[in-house]
Amino acid sequence: MKARYGMVIDVDRCTGCGACMVACAAENNVPPAAQRATARTGITPMLVHKVSDGAEGEDRREAFLPVTCMQCEHETPCVTVCPQQAVQLDPATGIVMQMPQRCLGCRYCMTACPYHARYFNWWDPVWPQGMEKSLNPGVAVRMRGVVEKCNLCHARLHAAQEKAAAAGKRTIDQHDYAPACVEACPTGAITFGNLADENDSVSRAARSPEAFRLLARLGTEPKIYYKSKRPWVRALAEPHTAQSRKEVQHG
Amino acid sequence: MASAVLTDRRWIARGAERTSSARFALWLAPWAALLVLGIYAAGLCLYYGLNQTNMDNRFAFGLWIFLDLSVIALGAGAFFTGFLVYILGRADLKPILNAAVVLGFICYSGAVAVLMVDVGQPLRGWFTFWHPNTHSMLTEVTFCISCYLLVLTLEYIPVLLRNRQLGKGQPAAVFEYRLHHLVPVLAGLGAFLSFFHQGSLGGLYGVLRGRPFAFREGFSVWPSTFFLFVLSAIAVGPSFLMLVTAAVEKLTGRRQVPRELLRRLGFISGILLAVYVAAKSIDTLIWLNVTSPSVGFAPWEHYAYPPFGSALLFIEIVLFGLVPAGLLIYPRTARNRRWLLTGAALACCGILLNRFVMTVQTLALPTLAFDEFLSYIPSWQEVATFGGLIAYGVIVFSLSYRYLPLFGQEKREATDVSGR
Amino acid sequence: MKLTRRDLFTWGGGAAAGLLLTPVPWKLLDDTSIWTQNWPWIPQPAHGPVEVKNSFCSLCPNGCGMRVRMAVGWPVGISGMPHHPVNQGALCPLGFGAHQLNWHPRRLRQVRYHGRASSWTEALVAFQKACAAGSVAIIDGYPGRAASSLFQSFCKQHGSYGVVLCTEERALGPYETWSGVPVTTLGYDLENTGTIVSFGAPLLDGWSAPGRFTRLWSERAAGMADPQLRLIQVEPAQSRTAACAWRWVRIAPGSEAALAAALARALREEHLAPEDTPMPPATLAESAARCCISIEAIRELARTMVARGPVLAISAESNSAVAALNVVLGAVGARGGIVCRRKRAESYAAADSLTGSFSAVLIDSSVPADFNPNIDAEVFRFAGWEGGPGRADWLLPAPGFLEELTDIPTAPASSIETYTIAVALAPPPPEMRSAAQFLAQVDPSAPLVEQVIHARCGQLFHARTGRLKREQSTAVSALDSPEMLKKELCHGAVWVDDPPRAGGIRCRLREWPQPSGAAPCAATWTTAWVPPVLPPLATKLYQESVLRETPPRSAI
Repeated sequence: MKARYGMVIDVDRCTGCGACMVACAAENNVPPAAQRATARTGITPMLVHKVSDGAEGEDRREAFLPVTCMQCEHETPCVTVCPQQAVQLDPATGIVMQMPQRCLGCRYCMTACPYHARYFNWWDPVWPQGMEKSLNPGVAVRMRGVVEKCNLCHARLHAAQEKAAAAGKRTIDQHDYAPACVEACPTGAITFGNLADENDSVSRAARSPEAFRLLARLGTEPKIYYKSKRPWVRALAEPHTAQSRKEVQHG
Repeated sequence: MASAVLTDRRWIARGAERTSSARFALWLAPWAALLVLGIYAAGLCLYYGLNQTNMDNRFAFGLWIFLDLSVIALGAGAFFTGFLVYILGRADLKPILNAAVVLGFICYSGAVAVLMVDVGQPLRGWFTFWHPNTHSMLTEVTFCISCYLLVLTLEYIPVLLRNRQLGKGQPAAVFEYRLHHLVPVLAGLGAFLSFFHQGSLGGLYGVLRGRPFAFREGFSVWPSTFFLFVLSAIAVGPSFLMLVTAAVEKLTGRRQVPRELLRRLGFISGILLAVYVAAKSIDTLIWLNVTSPSVGFAPWEHYAYPPFGSALLFIEIVLFGLVPAGLLIYPRTARNRRWLLTGAALACCGILLNRFVMTVQTLALPTLAFDEFLSYIPSWQEVATFGGLIAYGVIVFSLSYRYLPLFGQEKREATDVSGR
Repeated sequence: MKLTRRDLFTWGGGAAAGLLLTPVPWKLLDDTSIWTQNWPWIPQPAHGPVEVKNSFCSLCPNGCGMRVRMAVGWPVGISGMPHHPVNQGALCPLGFGAHQLNWHPRRLRQVRYHGRASSWTEALVAFQKACAAGSVAIIDGYPGRAASSLFQSFCKQHGSYGVVLCTEERALGPYETWSGVPVTTLGYDLENTGTIVSFGAPLLDGWSAPGRFTRLWSERAAGMADPQLRLIQVEPAQSRTAACAWRWVRIAPGSEAALAAALARALREEHLAPEDTPMPPATLAESAARCCISIEAIRELARTMVARGPVLAISAESNSAVAALNVVLGAVGARGGIVCRRKRAESYAAADSLTGSFSAVLIDSSVPADFNPNIDAEVFRFAGWEGGPGRADWLLPAPGFLEELTDIPTAPASSIETYTIAVALAPPPPEMRSAAQFLAQVDPSAPLVEQVIHARCGQLFHARTGRLKREQSTAVSALDSPEMLKKELCHGAVWVDDPPRAGGIRCRLREWPQPSGAAPCAATWTTAWVPPVLPPLATKLYQESVLRETPPRSAI
């Protein structure tokens, strides 16, 4: 059965704690930052942005937006541009699979992604001595010079598939597969599931009028939805709203 | 000229006048130093990784990609001159053909060398050939540039074999003779490959659906930038060739090609530049009024971030496009060497600006609503590698000029070139 | 036969062409792809079956339940334990990277005396000398554990016992002063509250256990215009909690007490507070001016506060004015307010209040790294990681994360009693010794931690109260033996007491208290974190993103 795994992130529930970011890094064997790494050269497959409505002072309202690979479905930008097919849209799961083992490190996919969801290994990964014992066995460690991104914790999907196969079943039990960020969120802001299943809570949430996708107008058909009751948060879906125009005018 | 001391006399063509070996060594010395610095910087990047540069996750492409794109566009003179001479039969351009080939070889080999440092895993360079992605412009670029570099090497070899020492002996002569028949084929092949990779380099940006600044509609799978890049490359190739030739003439104090040849190159360049300006203007208008608004960007919002203001657009199209086209076409200015060369220089600047806008400005602009406009300054390693490439070019060209008959006419024209 | 240049070309070219037909160049090319994936300096994860074990975090007194994935004998992944009523499957951002803490470069692996290397033997000798010379103070950051009872019994003979409470418990201090009920048995009955007025407490960002308030808020309040649970955040700047709260009340910095006083006055004037509660000396106008809020706004806030009861005021730090406001609101001892969990509880001396002369101070590794005792004596400090600002004469390597068996008493400010046993899952490095083990060497007659835990399990079993929660809930009375209780606890079950009855605490407050207590610092994550270092992956939050500013006390 073909699945389309996606998420709905409730922005109203996100407190910006960052637990999802750390859980993601731990699950995917992302190394701690190199000494010279900054917010522009770090590796954060899940990244929480602080956003605001543009007002100043007491009227300013802020929120937090976790951004990860959007798992674009239609003419996936990174898939179409990779010169050696190191990233593929898996038709069975809808996951955009990055294969760092095949990546040349040309970074063309990084220029193609409008969500800035791809990260380059500018350094070799270094863990303090002994810490490699704490690495997650299911996930390969990448070396420098390759691009990586969120794979919806594919190792966990793999484990769920193995478990189902061992039990003689053809489809996985949905409860066995949840990415690390979904599990980690203390407010349960991230819902994960199969968008192809109409009865799945994710599908229902994605169809709600409060749901929106970032840069939907580009036509990439992302599978990560956001949800908010606040209009100013929904307005962040598309760039250059009146708010940003106002900010731009003020230089 | 007093007889110069030439310790390498036996490498120099009989009857050709060259500066003394000591002076030549002095000329090469600073470029060699720059080349060594560039190799060292590149070595640092290969050894320690790309954290030696100032590129980051937002500026995944930086100075080197801009350099590669510019240098490949400037080297387009090689294939285009070959196309003109062998396919269109413009024999009057033949004297400059060797120089064009050498220049092209320098540009492409240098670009490929820098690319090998730019990618994170150079040892995996062959993956593109083994797992090609037919949808990707970069696959196309890789294939065509590799093949074209091979073509350029094959075109360079006959020039090398015209050297007094290398060309000695029968095997060399036979080889060169055999190759001679191949040359028109190579020229045609080169033109075909170059058309595609010059275009695909433009296509790299035109297909970026996620970057409304760069994204363009087009014909079938090719965005308009594909055609604009080809046009701009063939427009500026002859100009660059002209500038290099003029530089050689200035440095050596000797006319290398007939005056008329440079003017003709300029005219060709100017006409193509005019066509390019027209095409680019139409494309820009379509982009501003149709393509960009369809994904939510009002026309001038792309230019709201200083220093990348709308002035850049005007500079690119008018100052570096329309003006040099005029200078190169209009007989009054084209006849004047200074105006001619100014026109050529402005045209080259236009191409550099265009490639810069496509690589750096595209990445600097925010895409998400909560993005920032970011800036990027290359590190010294990047600049040094860039310098190394230029030094490599100057050295190879200088050596080629000294030991090879680059400009076939030089034996006949020994007069000073400073006249009009 | 002469070898000509032509021969060279022919043979050379032929050899090259022939080589292409052999596997050699293709295999070499293919090998580059393998080499580039497996350079020797790239660490590889261990290969082995993964099993999931339960344990509990002891890096701060909340004792969150964790599911730990183990491979080849080491923890390789952490996630929350859904059935623990305290954290309900959630963990703090630091918890997810805690399994890497034990290899932090600043891990203390050797006994240090004034910075230079020493040994346990020397430390033991020095400590015994100090015990013989005078009395010893033991400072505990995590009272209520089995180890804590060992400290206390040691101190009965040799000195004094003091505790460093976490901020959540310190904030309950005024209630202990006014009612005599120890803070270690007080809690907030958040599950039944209707409106919470938080005076700077980072309820959604590092207050109490990660899942405790966040889950509640998520279900009952997040994003709703008219939520079931109203969170009013009082704070000078817009913290994360303020950004998510139902209402954010901006006050002048340091004026929490003034706002509490103003609200008490406003409630009285609006006849929303009983007549016999004490009132602050300042007028409403004066307090309002101090907060930089208009009188009308305060009145409106007072009315809104009580519109959806029960109301509870929570302060970030110990603030007697906020506590007095709770008395006025009737939140003390009421449902949805401040509750007392057990009839009998222990009151501990605060570490800062230990007086007298001591010859040595022993600071347990559960005490935050920046704590400094007021005592002028030789300091024996147990720590898992070095680099804390606290002073120490002897720095003694203590077990790190999940490296020792310990029990976890009820989380601070919890509304229900819990008890769990955290088994050790990572083998400790050879030089580690906990403070309890150290004291056992000083006084061999004292019981071991394991024995105390065993005894406690027996007590719990015989009391026949409460339930054991795992995936299913079992009544203790249904269990067969104390060994079974202990076994369940060691496998990750949580003992949960029956809910407390209302009442049990009554505050005697005659007059409005003098302003006292520390002003809350800007909400940081996390106020209760003990080690002086952060898990290595915390760089994701502080260095590789702009999500959080540089950590205040700890270093990565």
